[in-house]
Amino acid sequence: MTPTNPPDPPAPQPGRSGFAEAGQATFDVALRLGGLFGAIVLLAVVIVIAKPSSFNLDVGISVLRAMSSVAIMSLGLLLVIVVGEIDLSFGAVYGLCANVLAVLWIVHGVTIFAALPIAIASGALVGVFNGVLVTVFRIPSFIVTLGSYNLLYGLSLWMTRTSTFNPAYPPPGTEVPEAELDFFTGLTASVGSRPISLEVVWMIGLAVLVGLLLHRTLFGFRLMAVGGNPVAARLARLPVTRYKIMAFVLCGVLAAFAGILDFSFIQTVQPNSGLSATFPVFAAVIIGGASLSGGKGTVIGTMGGALLLAGLQQGLALLSPGPHVQQLFLGAVTIGAVALDLALSRIRNRRAS
Amino acid sequence: MTAAAPVSLRAITKRYGSTIALDGLDLDLQPGEVIGIAGPNGAGKSTLMRILAGEEHPDSGEILLDGAPWVPTSDWSRVAVVHQEPQLFLNLTVAENLMVGREGTSVARPRLDAANLELMRTMGIADVAHIVLSDCTLATQQRTEIARAVARNASIFLFDEPNSALTSDESDKLFREMHKLAQSGHIVALVTHRLGDLVAHCRRVAVVRDGQVRRILEGAELTGDGIARQLVTEQRAPASGDRTRQRTGEGESAFQVRDWTHRDGAFAQVSLSAQPGEILALMGVEGSGARELLRSLAGLERCTGQIEIGALRGDTALNGAAAFVPAARQHSLYSNLSVGENLLVRLGVPQIAGSALWLKRRQMQDLVADAIRRFLVKVRSPGQPVRSLSGGNQQKVAIAQALLCAPELLLLEEPTRGVDIHSKAEIYGLLRDYAAKGHAVVIFCTELLEVYEAADTVRVAAEGRLSSPLAVAAYDHVEHLASDVIRLEDAHRPGPAGQTG
Repeated sequence: MTPTNPPDPPAPQPGRSGFAEAGQATFDVALRLGGLFGAIVLLAVVIVIAKPSSFNLDVGISVLRAMSSVAIMSLGLLLVIVVGEIDLSFGAVYGLCANVLAVLWIVHGVTIFAALPIAIASGALVGVFNGVLVTVFRIPSFIVTLGSYNLLYGLSLWMTRTSTFNPAYPPPGTEVPEAELDFFTGLTASVGSRPISLEVVWMIGLAVLVGLLLHRTLFGFRLMAVGGNPVAARLARLPVTRYKIMAFVLCGVLAAFAGILDFSFIQTVQPNSGLSATFPVFAAVIIGGASLSGGKGTVIGTMGGALLLAGLQQGLALLSPGPHVQQLFLGAVTIGAVALDLALSRIRNRRAS
Repeated sequence: MTAAAPVSLRAITKRYGSTIALDGLDLDLQPGEVIGIAGPNGAGKSTLMRILAGEEHPDSGEILLDGAPWVPTSDWSRVAVVHQEPQLFLNLTVAENLMVGREGTSVARPRLDAANLELMRTMGIADVAHIVLSDCTLATQQRTEIARAVARNASIFLFDEPNSALTSDESDKLFREMHKLAQSGHIVALVTHRLGDLVAHCRRVAVVRDGQVRRILEGAELTGDGIARQLVTEQRAPASGDRTRQRTGEGESAFQVRDWTHRDGAFAQVSLSAQPGEILALMGVEGSGARELLRSLAGLERCTGQIEIGALRGDTALNGAAAFVPAARQHSLYSNLSVGENLLVRLGVPQIAGSALWLKRRQMQDLVADAIRRFLVKVRSPGQPVRSLSGGNQQKVAIAQALLCAPELLLLEEPTRGVDIHSKAEIYGLLRDYAAKGHAVVIFCTELLEVYEAADTVRVAAEGRLSSPLAVAAYDHVEHLASDVIRLEDAHRPGPAGQTG
């Protein structure tokens, strides 16, 4: 399409236009994040004005605690979405792993120090299952993980015989050693003068870890590339299959962490634990700016998305306008965030052309 | 069928950004004749087709239908394009495809009426009327596409590389259909790279170059050689000094394959080798096996036989000794990454990441700055989105991506498609520099001029076999090379195309 060309292509313009172009990509991300965190601050201000008594640190801490398991799962989902796939099964993995732990530890008397790694490994195993079906057998990930969601929930029901477990009140005939119970509850114990659950510390630690993985390592760089253009990655002989499987495995492991930490904090687990987290986790990742077409997304954005959702949830619970309002907000915020994204990219494209 | 009125294009100009696709093109299309349109890649053929089909507006100039101004974009149903890949509803039956879009206003499910049945019979698709289109052959799909256009009273038929994936039997039938359309008074234009088909089926052939009709060939002038000469003359002659004619140590090859056979039959028993410093061009029309052969050297096709690249053999050679650059830039560039990230995307440990797989960000910046300088990428900043670069610079990024992993063997498919002349020369220079360091470069290419400028040796594929090597330096004029290549391309092909050889 290029028969003629000016003999000398226009020389690059030094100076201002150059800088504007250079900063474009980061500027967009900053704008997107600025908008997100602006919305979070706005939400906080509105809640405090509506109910001044909510202006205290305890409310803030409870928001952080409430967001933590959703945030940990959304870190995993973020990796899968960045590589251009979908995972619907992490909510069921959350339940499965907590139940594996409960059944092994409480019913069969396996020591917690063996049961914990097994529970986390089962999350990884689900990731391998999903990843292999998606890459080797080329079944669309939506279908694979929709199937494994149901498979895992079925497994949880079968394994637990549909019962609820609480390690402090083990079923008759079984016993949980005191020391192991203390260790387990200690995973999410509250510490400090303003009691903060350790679950929040876990969340922050995992977010930093995944953030470094995604934004500072070769793994993350290639994950972005594979998600952005899987065809090019295959032609360049990048290990596409391995990266996709790894993303599913990490998603499974992070969901297992979330399930175990929540089990430790709440002290009970039932077969359907975690299933209802599926859509909020998706919303958090999408609100955080990740693109379902792959190759785009940040950890800080995802954490912001989870924080905004938890803030909405806790704030609306304080104001108690009725259960419908929270759902309405969740829907509006999800669509609004993506609409904003599209509007921004249209403005940018118009400016570029 | 309605008789068509003549269509005239006057001074049509179309720009895409800074590149001029059509530069004041004039052309007359007469009803009742088949006009051929030939031209190198990027000459403006596809833009011309898109404008005639009403897919795009020209920037200036006018189109006249029977002497009166005509706007194809608002009268698109008059024009039918028969593509290499039919644009139809693969999930519907042949008959349903004929009906879609013409259902009328009735809420009832549309039924075939007598006129449509008759049409399907004349097109020879009545037998398969109730078969789902995705189960039909490509030839049937193309017939369905033609029938659809006839049914909506289209009067202008554009055949765009229609037979590149057909067997010679099928393409004969397709051309018979094409001539029938012309005889019944339609305007018919044929765009193809196969010069033999142009000679066999067209009364006139317009050669499009640099966005203009350079010459219209008819009568005695209309031969395969004649068209080839028009396609390549008056272009910048390559500086013969560019070519490294003497090479180190005869017989010592940078890579070689023997008994190389494609699992799906695209080629068989191929032997191929190149010496260090050599740029080897594979040519051949679609379906000849040349494209698959190139991809197979990068391990992208399943093959049997022996392969050696540098010191590596077999699977180890296929897994990483060669780097492949595909023709389409959407298959090599990552639009979500910046120019700098695109340049480094094929690298790993130790170039951009250390032992714990941490990215070495300082080294990455240095590598990018160095690559931008070495590969002459015109960029305002390495952080710029890759989409904002011009086609030529995007292609340089794509090639740099591959060269940065220092492959033993560099494989390129259509290395300068959609690239301006200035960047073309720079890209040839990059390839030459790389070869001069003792590597081999293999390109798959459909443009003779490109081969003449860039390659040392040409091997032409036809029907899955390779010709013996042609040394480019032995040809004083590109026209002579052109006629040899065309003879070899048509060598094994029966049917009308072969008659011209």
